[in-house]
Amino acid sequence: MRGGAIPLLVWAALLALLMAGNWVWTGDTIQVGTFAFAVLLVIGFALALVVRDRGAVRPGPPPRQARLEALPGVSLAPVGIALALAAILFGLAFGHFAIYFGGGLLAASLGRLALELRAAGRARRRYEDEHP
Amino acid sequence: MAALGRRPWSHASVPAALVETHATYQHVFDIYVPIGLGVITLFALATLLAVVLYRRRPPEQAARFSSNDRLEGGYALLLVCTIAFLLYITFSAEHRVDTVSAREQPQLVVNVTAAKWEWHFEYPSYGIDRYSGAVGSEQLVLPANRAIRFRLTSADVIHALWIPALSYKHDAIPGSVQSFTLSFARPGTYSGECAEFCGLMHSNMLFTARVLAPSRFLAWAQAERGSTGARR
Amino acid sequence: MSAATSAPGGVRTLPGWLGAATSADHKRVGLNMAAASLVFFLAGGVMALLMRAQLAQPHTGFVSEGTYDELFTMHGSTMIYLFVTPMALALAVYLVPLQIGAAQVAWPRLLLGGFWTWLSGGVVMQLGWLTEEGAGRAGWFSYVPLANDLNTPGVGQDLWTIGVIMAALGLFLVAACVLATIATRRAPGMSVLRMPVFTWTELVSVLMVIGAFPVLIVAMSLLYAERLGAQVYTGFSGAIDYQDLFWFFGHPVVYVMFFPFLGAAAEVIAVNARKRWFGYPAFVASMLAFAALSMSVWAHHMFTTGGVTNQYFAFTSTALILPAGMEYLGMLGTLIGGAIVLRSSMLFALGFFVQFLIGGTSGIFVASPVLDYHAEDSYIVVGHFHYTLFAGSVFGFFAGVYHWFPKVTGARLRESLGKVHFVLLAVGTNLTFMPMFFLGDYGMSRRIAEYPTHPSWGPLNLLESIGAGIIALAVAVFLVNVGLSLRRREPAGDDPWGGHTLEWATSSPPPPGNFPAALPPIRSYAPLLDLREQKRSALAGGGGT
Repeated sequence: MRGGAIPLLVWAALLALLMAGNWVWTGDTIQVGTFAFAVLLVIGFALALVVRDRGAVRPGPPPRQARLEALPGVSLAPVGIALALAAILFGLAFGHFAIYFGGGLLAASLGRLALELRAAGRARRRYEDEHP
Repeated sequence: MAALGRRPWSHASVPAALVETHATYQHVFDIYVPIGLGVITLFALATLLAVVLYRRRPPEQAARFSSNDRLEGGYALLLVCTIAFLLYITFSAEHRVDTVSAREQPQLVVNVTAAKWEWHFEYPSYGIDRYSGAVGSEQLVLPANRAIRFRLTSADVIHALWIPALSYKHDAIPGSVQSFTLSFARPGTYSGECAEFCGLMHSNMLFTARVLAPSRFLAWAQAERGSTGARR
Repeated sequence: MSAATSAPGGVRTLPGWLGAATSADHKRVGLNMAAASLVFFLAGGVMALLMRAQLAQPHTGFVSEGTYDELFTMHGSTMIYLFVTPMALALAVYLVPLQIGAAQVAWPRLLLGGFWTWLSGGVVMQLGWLTEEGAGRAGWFSYVPLANDLNTPGVGQDLWTIGVIMAALGLFLVAACVLATIATRRAPGMSVLRMPVFTWTELVSVLMVIGAFPVLIVAMSLLYAERLGAQVYTGFSGAIDYQDLFWFFGHPVVYVMFFPFLGAAAEVIAVNARKRWFGYPAFVASMLAFAALSMSVWAHHMFTTGGVTNQYFAFTSTALILPAGMEYLGMLGTLIGGAIVLRSSMLFALGFFVQFLIGGTSGIFVASPVLDYHAEDSYIVVGHFHYTLFAGSVFGFFAGVYHWFPKVTGARLRESLGKVHFVLLAVGTNLTFMPMFFLGDYGMSRRIAEYPTHPSWGPLNLLESIGAGIIALAVAVFLVNVGLSLRRREPAGDDPWGGHTLEWATSSPPPPGNFPAALPPIRSYAPLLDLREQKRSALAGGGGT
């Protein structure tokens, strides 16, 4: 993660500079508002990285480190969530049947997601036990 | 400003230094386009030359340099100077077309209302109305060599009034009146069209500007005074 | 390190297409996304051919006015939301983890969810064709008031709006995943300033997606509310606000559609010149500046509205010359002194650079308000963006395809067919899009189904339509090449071209976990080239001591 947040912060700074220029030159609220929104999103992302690992703002190459993660081979949950969202929004335009179907699928997929995350946690703990 | 005075139609009082939109466009065009073509040609030739010179060499002969600070710095400076020059040209021209023309005293005001899919031209000082577009094509008659102020709005969606011969267009947005000032250097017939997609008959929202010598325009305007066109 | 182990726990794979559809492996998702984008490309291409058939003569009557409006709306929307942008991100999804030495992406479930959200959005958008009033038809930017329910009624336009929201949301999620991957999964030794050129172009692209796409989602959601009856965008300020919000997204997206293909072309040029990319630090700085500037130029699309401060946007738009110019110095600096091989990939990469310059300079042209007052909404602009996006990005895309096809499939594409593909595409592209600059200057508006019978307009339009046919032929040759190369494989091996970056240090295609063996040492943005040059120096230095 070393230095991972630095490009984001540099970029946010450039954006802020251009935003200041826009504010001074145009004084347009909507324009500055959308600009500020973008800056905040990027800074937010950078902050999330820093919170995870302070090294994200330290320059330099990432060190060697062993990391253990449970990575899914397949995952049905996000597919179900995406299709559920599609059905709900489609239903907004077309007909309520699709919204109900989407709602059901969403509930099922969220449940599935919970199961998948639990299984991943269990697999990781089992691996840690077997390979201390 | 004495020339823009009491009797606008006499030959003696052609307003001084009317902003000519097309001439201003052409001036900027004549700087931008050669530079652009030059840059394209330069890079295309340099690329071709490099490919021809450095083809079919064994990999070991490939040079290992990958930077040259002096070159990169000098080149960046050249680019900055180019930007500055182009901005100077652009800002001066934009100032003329937008700001200077707005300060001109117009000899004629034309109110334009764009609507799906027709143009309604109205001459408030003469009480004349004309319509053109999907409904038919009555000409927009205008004087040459005079500042004409257009006051443009829309009755429904966004349209845009474009007269290619003047290299100028402006959007017609409902809820606003957009003012701009144009002038025609020569009498003649010039096409105009809607240049903002506005629905089914957008392609048919055309009009023709018939530009007459000032005295002939005056005669036409007096003769047509009070007429509201064949449409209504 | 990146040695990946698998342990039992839950479902690891499913059979057949279900497994391919739900696989969370970044390579599978990347491939799926690329394949779907390619299908949408063909659909958008058919729409373009229909449009060009209509425009081949002033009044062909080939399609009705209403159908033409649907065609240009859906052609633009399909190409932008469903081909070039997702393809740019698909390349990132597949290649970036490999280039940075990672075993997998950072948030695989989010990636999978993002892909499926995007794909569903694309399908929903296209479903409009089946409705009574037809597909979306208010233009790909769907300005208000035209796009409200009064002026463009019907569920097709609703589905278009929903489709755009979903596609944008999906792409945003994919981009977030790529950004997290670059931030957190670089291999030991790969500092941010040792990332490959292509990865840097993808990094700034996903930054733009993060900053700009949410604004589109807001703009379109408010538009949908307006279509349901809410008074959101009222009056002059409402119309301008919509455009401000839309173009705040609408400009950065075109750079998302350009940078990754610039990166692909740059990689191809470096590898085929056997030299590392010239001017890397300047390249990194200018990419960051380029992407930042791209977020500040948007109202150059609004010069003729009278509702924005034209000078600020003319200033920032013209300033783009600086970073763009630096890229071109990089290209020349890489070619000069190299040992150049003119493979198909290289031809496309060189074609990208030369043709994109035409698009870029025409962009500087319209960055000048006085010039734009003539060019806006005319075929000058249509020529400009097709040169950047088609003559530019699509050529960069094909450069990437010929370059990375062996890595992804294990087989090479045929060189002879590749060269035929290149020549046909170059001829067709220039024949189709060059006359547009002239037609626009003469006064031809965009988005019109028929045009007046001015003397040169008919013949120029006919040339363009013929060019479009040649493009179609070129694409057909490409598809034949792909089919043939997959059927009668010429095995490629790990590194057929002498690549510079880590994806060439593993098998073709890479196994799950990407790098089973140890990675080479990473001391620059071209680690494999470093290794090769070191070996060469060692051999040349004398076998003795």
